[in-house]
Amino acid sequence: MSQPDLSGLPGLLSRPYKYIRLEWSSELSALRVRTCVTPIQCYSLSAMGELNRVLMDIAERPGLVKHFVMTSDVPGVFNFGGDLALFVLLIRAQDHESLKLYGRRCVDLIWWMECAASLGVHTTVLVQGDTLGGGLESVMPFHKVIFERSAQAGFPEVLFNSFPGMGAWSFTIRKAGFAIANEMILSGRLYTADQLYRRQLVDLVVDDGQGEEAIEQTIRTVHPRLRGTLAALQARSAAAPIRYESLIEIVDLWTENSLLLTERDLRLMERLARAQARKAGGAYDGAVEEIKRFELDSAWGEERTGITEWATLS
Amino acid sequence: MTTSFFPELISRTDEARRSFENHERIVQAVADGMPLPRYQRLLLELYQLVWHFNPICAAAASRMSDDSRHVRYFFYKHIEEESGHERWVMDDLEAVGVSASDARKSRPMADTQALVGFNYWTADRREPVAVLGMVYVLEVIASVYGGPFSTAIKESLLLSGDRGVSFIGSHASLDTKHMADLRDILNTVQDESKREAICESTIVNFDFVTRIFSTV
Repeated sequence: MSQPDLSGLPGLLSRPYKYIRLEWSSELSALRVRTCVTPIQCYSLSAMGELNRVLMDIAERPGLVKHFVMTSDVPGVFNFGGDLALFVLLIRAQDHESLKLYGRRCVDLIWWMECAASLGVHTTVLVQGDTLGGGLESVMPFHKVIFERSAQAGFPEVLFNSFPGMGAWSFTIRKAGFAIANEMILSGRLYTADQLYRRQLVDLVVDDGQGEEAIEQTIRTVHPRLRGTLAALQARSAAAPIRYESLIEIVDLWTENSLLLTERDLRLMERLARAQARKAGGAYDGAVEEIKRFELDSAWGEERTGITEWATLS
Repeated sequence: MTTSFFPELISRTDEARRSFENHERIVQAVADGMPLPRYQRLLLELYQLVWHFNPICAAAASRMSDDSRHVRYFFYKHIEEESGHERWVMDDLEAVGVSASDARKSRPMADTQALVGFNYWTADRREPVAVLGMVYVLEVIASVYGGPFSTAIKESLLLSGDRGVSFIGSHASLDTKHMADLRDILNTVQDESKREAICESTIVNFDFVTRIFSTV
């Protein structure tokens, strides 16, 4: 196998980042991004800006990065998704333009992931903690999605009258089918790693602490047959295409709907943000537990599922 | 082609907003409230900020040139709406055990004095329109963080109804319309040097409010 031209590497690795850390493996041409938006790990404007810079750097240096790996350095949290405080601010300000801009920046990130194979990059993500809403959406376009067993994920947006607008529908339908997408997005429920694996949204579930080994194994398995794998993944995209225009159409709908959220909806969003703060402060009790309480609070949810105890869902 | 300023302001100052939101002591306060002595101290500092808010806006309105008259009218309206709100802080102080006379005698912290001084200086010497940065920061804190913070305070200090949190709690809902009005007026600012000054003021205000919240 020919050696990659590493001349672009110093530039890529030497940028100063605040919310991500980069690691490079020259043996496998693998770039690892560790996200660390502390204390509340979410897709803030700055964090997205940094991530976007890395992705642009990779795209501008074809052949340099062959494997892209993403993990979180925040214990117990992969990503809480959108920046809830920013949403509340923009919705209260009725700022259509900023909301749309935020949504489109998110779409641009997932679109890069969707196109990664055509850029010669295989993508792997390891989820070791909670991942909600936009956090789960950001995971779905990766070629290999690995969850540690204790990780939990879901699309809670419907609980505050919103919906996940940055790829959830398109990618869930493609990976798991229409019925599963309906179930997940319209219920707002949270799912364990095993439940997501059974729904085909996760490719591999490993025991807690085994994620690193799973990443290594994935890359080493793919690496010798990278060209064929990427070609096959491009063919997969052609067979079940997701269009950028439809992602934009959905995110624009999300923007319009966000501006209609009521004071009650915003209060629920604030409850969730406060729960994230509790978890960031070291409490066991966090956003995931708050969502479970939302669900139990919701007569609609109880009537629909007949379930009043979250634990019985596992 | 001119662009709307509000999205630019959000983007250029988001780091400062997140630094406020993510400060360890503020995360803790939003999650679990704060002990009574800290909350009393915070209200005493807030009293100073609220007391000087309208005079700063008035100073800015009086100094800006006529080409910013729409901003001046915005300040007139805002001054009227905010007028007397320092009494709400005083009521909250009384509800948590600080008498009005003790509150008036209280000396503000250095950070509070510095922030108030900075905002008068902005109105007087820097760029009167940039006082919108102060308004923006206080509106954001009230409308985005005020609700969860007042809930946490009520829970931690076992306060009933709006007693002790009337200023913070009521501003969370009152300021809903304020944010939209503020966005409209900010979007009218086209001059690049004025935009720069508003961003600078916003960052300084977030920075000092963060210091005040975290130091009390």
